[in-house]
Amino acid sequence: MGKRNDAAAERGFRISRRAFLISSSAAALAACAPSTTGNAASSAAATTAAAAATAGPPLKLGQLLPFTKVYAELGNSMKRSTDLYLKLKGNKLANRPVTVIYEDEANDPQVGLAKTQKFIDQDKVDVMLGVVATPIAYAIRNAVDSAKMIYIDTNAGGNALTRTTNNCTPSCKSPYIFRTSFSSYQISEPIGEYMASKKGVKEVFTFVADYGFGTESQADFTTGFTKNGGKITGSLKAPLGSADFVPFVTQLKAQPTKDIYSFFSGADAVKYIQAWNQLGLPAAGYKMNGAGFLTEQDVLAVVKEQANGAITSLFWAVELDNPENKAFKDAYQKEYNLLPDVFAVQAWDGMQALDLALQATKGDTSDKQKLIAALEAVKFNSPRGAFEFDKDTHNPIQDMYMREVKTANGQTVNTISDKIGRVTDPGK
Amino acid sequence: MSRSTRIRAAIVLAVWVALATFPEWSVAWESSRFAAGIIRQILIFAIFASSLNLLVGYAGLPSLGHAAFFGGGAYAAAIVAQRLGTDELLVSLGAAVAGAALLALVVGYLAVRAVGIFFLMLTLALAQMVFAIAFQATDLTGGSNGFSGVHRPVLLGIDFNAANDLYLLVCAVALLVALLLWRLATSSYGRALVGVRENERRMRALGYDTRTLKLSAFVLAGALAGVAGALSAYEFRFVSPNDVALGTSVAGFVMVLIGGAGTLVGPIVGAAVVLSIERVLPSQLPAQMVLGIVFIAFVVFARQGLVGAVRRAVRA
Amino acid sequence: MTLEDALQQALNGLSFGALLFILAAGLSLIFGMMDVVNLAHGAFYMLGAYVALSVTRATGSFWAALVVAPLALAALGLLVEPLLLRRLRGRHLDQVLITIGLSLVIADFIRLRDDWGWGATVRSLPFPAGLDRSVAIAGSDYPTYRLFVIAFGAGLALLLYVLHRRTRIGALVRAGVGDAEMLSALGVDTDRLFTVTFAIGAGLAGLAGVVAAPVFGLQPGMDVDALIYSLIVVVVGGLGSLSGAVAGSAVVGPADTFGKVLVPQFALALIFAIMALVLLFRPTGLLGRVRIGR
Repeated sequence: MGKRNDAAAERGFRISRRAFLISSSAAALAACAPSTTGNAASSAAATTAAAAATAGPPLKLGQLLPFTKVYAELGNSMKRSTDLYLKLKGNKLANRPVTVIYEDEANDPQVGLAKTQKFIDQDKVDVMLGVVATPIAYAIRNAVDSAKMIYIDTNAGGNALTRTTNNCTPSCKSPYIFRTSFSSYQISEPIGEYMASKKGVKEVFTFVADYGFGTESQADFTTGFTKNGGKITGSLKAPLGSADFVPFVTQLKAQPTKDIYSFFSGADAVKYIQAWNQLGLPAAGYKMNGAGFLTEQDVLAVVKEQANGAITSLFWAVELDNPENKAFKDAYQKEYNLLPDVFAVQAWDGMQALDLALQATKGDTSDKQKLIAALEAVKFNSPRGAFEFDKDTHNPIQDMYMREVKTANGQTVNTISDKIGRVTDPGK
Repeated sequence: MSRSTRIRAAIVLAVWVALATFPEWSVAWESSRFAAGIIRQILIFAIFASSLNLLVGYAGLPSLGHAAFFGGGAYAAAIVAQRLGTDELLVSLGAAVAGAALLALVVGYLAVRAVGIFFLMLTLALAQMVFAIAFQATDLTGGSNGFSGVHRPVLLGIDFNAANDLYLLVCAVALLVALLLWRLATSSYGRALVGVRENERRMRALGYDTRTLKLSAFVLAGALAGVAGALSAYEFRFVSPNDVALGTSVAGFVMVLIGGAGTLVGPIVGAAVVLSIERVLPSQLPAQMVLGIVFIAFVVFARQGLVGAVRRAVRA
Repeated sequence: MTLEDALQQALNGLSFGALLFILAAGLSLIFGMMDVVNLAHGAFYMLGAYVALSVTRATGSFWAALVVAPLALAALGLLVEPLLLRRLRGRHLDQVLITIGLSLVIADFIRLRDDWGWGATVRSLPFPAGLDRSVAIAGSDYPTYRLFVIAFGAGLALLLYVLHRRTRIGALVRAGVGDAEMLSALGVDTDRLFTVTFAIGAGLAGLAGVVAAPVFGLQPGMDVDALIYSLIVVVVGGLGSLSGAVAGSAVVGPADTFGKVLVPQFALALIFAIMALVLLFRPTGLLGRVRIGR
């Protein structure tokens, strides 16, 4: 444990120096130079003076993330990503020194709302980010909207959050809410189209987690699959957090359709894939398909080659080959000695979108309409590829990758087999 | 009224007035608005915990399904107000009380035949079924995504939409519930409940219909939990299956125990302690571990809850 | 459902039931002997699984973990009983609060110990070598580890039965379940007896953690699930007796499995429905004695 921490500290030191070099202006670098000759005190004073002369007013960000209960690791990952982004930027966005207030939503809408109210009333944050679970995003929607606080959703994927809905039920879009993750439509519908049209799959049986998001994913997949001539032969649902998946997988095996579409994530996905193998479904010719979370890093780290052959769709994969992803992975690995996951990417892009918008407003957060317009205009290359917001809904427009799980040299990864460009949520 | 009762009444009234005017006298404090929100939530859970205390502390019925009535009341208030298109307080609050009481009648009818841990597990099981309905009846409750867009109520033209007005409403209801429970605890009915807790057989021998007595307490406690649930729906403008879930039942139970079961002030103190740790403590601290350590410390150092400890200290 | 599928699901139900028995045995023992509802049982189970994870990583052997983790948990039990529970004899509400507190501390401790390879990430314990395959049963693959679980559960029940019937400590337990005060009057050191009982119960929870880990995995929240399952089994079977735990798990395991197949729309609350049904018709569980002195 000691050794690991020392190594981490050393890495941290190195990255901080690198970050410093990246973010400092040439003048600051020049001011730093004499320190090697021994005149440390005066150079430090010069640096501080230079910084004080240019720094804008402090910027307060509120991050509402789960740090306890089932989604704790997602919150940890998103916090790591946020911290890293700020570190690389010398802890400043648009020249404003940043303070991030992290609050734990504990996977409870009431707690999430209480903490959101704290951001609004007490901390008076300039911008809020975060939220993993869709019910919490829906719960805080009205509070955020009526406080006119800009909020960037960095995970919760319920469709309604960026759509116009009847009576705003269960939720609806708001000019103040942006999303840098996905809508469940985006990770579910395209793979349905893809399987029917490109893979020539005729029939699919669906098996999803029995809660709002699973049901939504199942419905969106069905739309995409059936509109291209596919047929759903049946469906099965498992309660969220089921202890034992073997009875369900036994039922999958007892029906004849070989292609299964699933939405599960985290521990459920692990148990599902393990049961799938224990009961010999691959040998019996069954094929696993699903929305990307079924085979994300957290799951593959546990099930490894047991997931081989599964086809899932997501807007990112750790193997995605582009310069931004490489830079992101390198920086993240150097800092934490860990591969980033999709949650880290979502949080990273939340910071990146905010950063760019703030640069456009020259750091101004007081004029909300100006900041909203700036966010709407943001376009950048994310680790996931080209990223921009749909101006009507504030949901991202992004490419969707079809990925197949393969194991090579002891590494189990999602290899990219196809891409569907610029997927936009149909919400208005 | 005896002298000590009058002194107590004066203290309660003074504390209540101080609390009810908190948003006014704390207005210069930067955390005033946030603190007022937390106090509202503490009072809502104090009502919830006090209603459960009627069962756990007085009647000796350890219910681990009380969230069914809290959440049931919240859903009833939200759904009825929305379906009828009215924000009238008496309508939604009435629906919450009626809905929760009815639910408590059904659950209680089935559960009061069992005692001790069997009662505890039966209430847990029946509440989990209510949870399953809330979670799965998406058309009615919004399912796992929750029921959003609950309006804050109006009463005789007074709009409780502003946070400070809602604050007054919550304070007023909390006071009424506290007074009701005070009356109950000192009445012959309250003494009969304690009698059932202490020795049910003896009470039966004395001619009490103990089963009806227990059921009536169960329904009354359920109705009051429904009041808390309705207030929670107004406060958060959102109802979710979490409000019906085991976690909420356990939270209520724990609030009763750390404050001191069978005392009137105990559950209020318990609600304040638990919610402060969960919602005010900085998130860098491990809230669950703090909560656990606090529970252990209460048992080890403050036998019979905080109130018991204070009483002993006063006597000593 | 074909006969073949029914047989498969029956095996699923049996292995689930066997796991439930291992899980519930310790809780039942502690309740029966000490009249304590140990709500930290689920946390002990969870801790057992994580200790097993560390031991397996260090030694490469599941079997080492199967020995070490229960002993570690028993040692913890030896500490907890005299320090926290002894003074609370007969004070049920205080026992509830202190054991909930203990389980919160244990679960959060595990979450915070990322550096031990624990933390909040999903973990799993690999099947032991030799039991990681599937065998053909009724024309279909069936995982050998699940068959092992059935055998292990049955073996444990038999072992506990023999200990219960044939040994001195078994005799004391039998007497203690009947009337602990009487034992004390007869000059038995009940403090020591209770400490040992609690340690055995905690050790059994740890054992369940090891055996269940390859099937159920390791993740935050597993403690609460395990606690609820074990409470249900113990209550359905009838409190505090070995045969009650056997009966409870034999009913709950298969009923839950077949219920999920036959009425999948009720899967969420199925296990509670089973418990409620049993308690409505038999308010003290299947084999419960009518001893309601509380």
